[in-house]
Amino acid sequence: MSPRFRPPAWFVLLLPAIIILAAVVLVPLLLSLYSSFTPYRLTRPETLYKWIGTYNYEKAMKSAHFWSAFGRTILFLTVALNLEMLAGLGLALLVNRVTYGQRALRTIMMFPMMFSPILVGFQFKFIFNDNVGLVNNALQSLGWTDRAIPWLVDGQLAFFSIVVAEMWSSTSVFAILILAGLFAVPRDPIEAAKVDGCTPWQSFRHITLPYIMPFVYIALAIRSLDVARAYDIVQIMTNGGPARRTEILWTMIGRTGYVDAKMGYANAMGYISIVLAIFFTVYFFRKLSAARSVLGMAG
Amino acid sequence: MNENLKHRIQARILKIAHFVALFIAMAIICIPGLWIVLNSLRPTVEIMAKPPVWIPTELNFDHYVAMFSGVGEGGVPVLQYFTNSLIISVTSTLIAMLVGMAGGYAFARYKFKGKAVIFIGLMLTRAVPGVALSLPLFIVMAKTGLIDTHLGLILVYVSLNVPFTIWLIDGFFRQVPHELAEAAEIDGCTRWQAFWKVEFPVARAGVASAGIFAFLTSWNEYALASQLTRSTFSKTMPVGLRDFTSEFTINWGGMCALAVLMIIPALILTFLVQKHLIAGLTFGGVKG
Amino acid sequence: MARVHLSNVDKSYGSIKVVHGINLEIEDNEFVVLVGPSGCGKSTTLRMIAGLEPISGGEISIGDRVVNNLPPRHRNISMVFQNYALYPHMSVRENLGFSLKIAKQSQAEIDKAVDEAAQILSLTEYLDRKPGALSGGQRQRVAMGRAIVRHPEVFLFDEPLSNLDAKLRTQMRTEIKKLHQKVKSTIVYVTHDQVEAMTLADRIVIMRDGYIEQVGTPLDVFETPVNTFVATFIGSPPMNLLPGRVMNAQVALDGGPVVPLPDQFVGKVKDDQAIILGFRADNLMPVGYSMPMEGTHAEFDMNVNLSEPLGTETLLFGSLAGKEVMAKMLNPRPVKNGERLPFLLDLTRCHLFDADTQQSLR
Repeated sequence: MSPRFRPPAWFVLLLPAIIILAAVVLVPLLLSLYSSFTPYRLTRPETLYKWIGTYNYEKAMKSAHFWSAFGRTILFLTVALNLEMLAGLGLALLVNRVTYGQRALRTIMMFPMMFSPILVGFQFKFIFNDNVGLVNNALQSLGWTDRAIPWLVDGQLAFFSIVVAEMWSSTSVFAILILAGLFAVPRDPIEAAKVDGCTPWQSFRHITLPYIMPFVYIALAIRSLDVARAYDIVQIMTNGGPARRTEILWTMIGRTGYVDAKMGYANAMGYISIVLAIFFTVYFFRKLSAARSVLGMAG
Repeated sequence: MNENLKHRIQARILKIAHFVALFIAMAIICIPGLWIVLNSLRPTVEIMAKPPVWIPTELNFDHYVAMFSGVGEGGVPVLQYFTNSLIISVTSTLIAMLVGMAGGYAFARYKFKGKAVIFIGLMLTRAVPGVALSLPLFIVMAKTGLIDTHLGLILVYVSLNVPFTIWLIDGFFRQVPHELAEAAEIDGCTRWQAFWKVEFPVARAGVASAGIFAFLTSWNEYALASQLTRSTFSKTMPVGLRDFTSEFTINWGGMCALAVLMIIPALILTFLVQKHLIAGLTFGGVKG
Repeated sequence: MARVHLSNVDKSYGSIKVVHGINLEIEDNEFVVLVGPSGCGKSTTLRMIAGLEPISGGEISIGDRVVNNLPPRHRNISMVFQNYALYPHMSVRENLGFSLKIAKQSQAEIDKAVDEAAQILSLTEYLDRKPGALSGGQRQRVAMGRAIVRHPEVFLFDEPLSNLDAKLRTQMRTEIKKLHQKVKSTIVYVTHDQVEAMTLADRIVIMRDGYIEQVGTPLDVFETPVNTFVATFIGSPPMNLLPGRVMNAQVALDGGPVVPLPDQFVGKVKDDQAIILGFRADNLMPVGYSMPMEGTHAEFDMNVNLSEPLGTETLLFGSLAGKEVMAKMLNPRPVKNGERLPFLLDLTRCHLFDADTQQSLR
């Protein structure tokens, strides 16, 4: 060991971060990978040391439950992210045109971001409750229906309710980022577009939109990091039920691992979900760079 | 003339429509929260009433009192949950900030090989879904005896917050011209002093906003907490709320009160730093 | 027909009025320049013509239509912005053709129009570049090209040359003048530079604080300014102004020499009236180094404090009546600072303004 060994400053600064992440994330991830190749059950710890190859993965691929949960998850994410993006865009455009009190509006817009997904789930669990929920009570008082609509029980209605909850929670992220983007759009080209003959829609489509795309992708990338927030929401609203009608990938993993105690199998599914999450993230980050370079080169 | 009039009317209609749309949007945002607050103050009888009672006839703090006394509804140790959440969130935030500042500074000020790779690696750790991570973590922490401890959850939350904190702080330190530190060093400071006396104060706003984000992430986290805690010794508020909801599905008022208790610190913090929060999101994003 | 008619046009921001009752008639094919110091309301007026600012009062017509509430796209105008306002994510070709694309013209027509505009402005080799890869002058030409491609009724220019360096500015000035001859449209041009105004305009509109001070041809406003503001604003170097009094059919400058009353003002002034005498540097020259002066002239001595040789002539700074005045010296010789020289003042070209109203007494 050379006494003159001095690690470079950046290394020392980054070391704590690397150590913590390695310990809390990397090592468990490796363990998870390993255990996905075992039939590990919490109740029988010795099964951790038995190697069964890709059995768990094959089991998942052949399981109808798994595919239904997986499919539901993909559908959910696609629908929710798209709707959030559109709603966020709309909201940002509305707020952007306000001259006075924009700051107050921005603060209000941030509220949903502060709520824990559990809290959001709870809110809507209450609101969509078939007996005492706000929605049913309002519908009944208005005379539009006289039965208790099972928002959280019926398969499709429950999906709808969860999407509503998720949208309420995350639209703000899009709205605020797009608002910042709108702020950065230079005013002159828009005026030039007005003179050039554009209707408001046309100047939006040709001039504003390319400018805010980077921000849209930033929002998508940030959201994709938290793609599993839906787990919290579903856990409290429906717990994946009833009868697995709202089961998504993560509730299934949780159930398999902790309730059924099939750790190995759960880890296999977990790994599939990790790959999914990373895929989303990388995809959006790439789109972000592409959108930035279109502007950067011309800026 | 007709053309002019048509356009004037159009403009006016648009203005009204704009106002109405904004109003509806803000209402949608505020109503759920307000509804919860309202119901936390209404007696259960009224909440369950059929036909539904729209104008509250009576408002009181009964639910809150019951919640805090802890015994009445079968024992929800609210204060315990609150304290746990507070301790864990604050501690993990502080540690994450220190680690994050060091890392963010390294990224902002130094060039080194593999920078991009390390950065991507850090970000990807954040992409791992909580539930999936909780499985192996459970095993590891069970073996190391960290289940159901404050320390265990603190460590996990630090690792959860570090990547994003580094990203934000990297962005903020890039805004600080490095001539400041150089000037300070010429004036006689060591690198360490230059940092604390000159660079840090300028980036303070960014650091604060990163801290708020980290705190909120820890405060609101559920997936990992639900598995890594076992008893009221370390259970946090999100876990408490979910457990409560599962057990007592009739006592809506009480649950609303619990929910309100959970949201209050977050709201206060938001008010204090809303300006910096937006800056944090956009700076980190645009420069990143 | 592309006349522009402003009738009692007002503009207020809240309770602050920035443009007061502007009345202006711009003829078809005329090149009109709005000129004035910063904040005089010229850009605001232009933007009201364009439809980018709403009008607070009065009426604006383009051609035969009143356009008060019409959005820009319905006014058949083009505009060249001060900062060019090019679309950064589009190539030059796309920038030029954008308005035609919006008007849903065929690709063939668009290409033809774009190529034509590019040729007129020498942009053909840059057609596939993006604005970020162009120099200031090139960007300026793209901005102009974008404007001419549509063949509108009226062209509006908002200080287009302010961001260019001096040499480029003179070059582009000529280009714009040539453009006007080639394209033959009504042009309304805003600038704060009076040299630009003088060289480009068919008629100049001088504005101050939201009011029109004077409208006339360049020669008009140069030779017969209606007040001291116009007198000092137009022309470089600015006109010399000296306060004085009318006494016994003569002009007694305060603290300075007495000069005869110029013929053109006889009968227009009262005895003992406080006046301001105005003359340009070209009208005050040293004896022996001046233009021949046939009409009435005054002669007096003056100390020269500073001299600026310009080549064919020298600018002299001297003190007269306690003020600094500028004079010109033709076929100059070097002048030492402090030298006292006899000067000739050409009275036929002098101006008299009332000291209270600042108005010309012509």
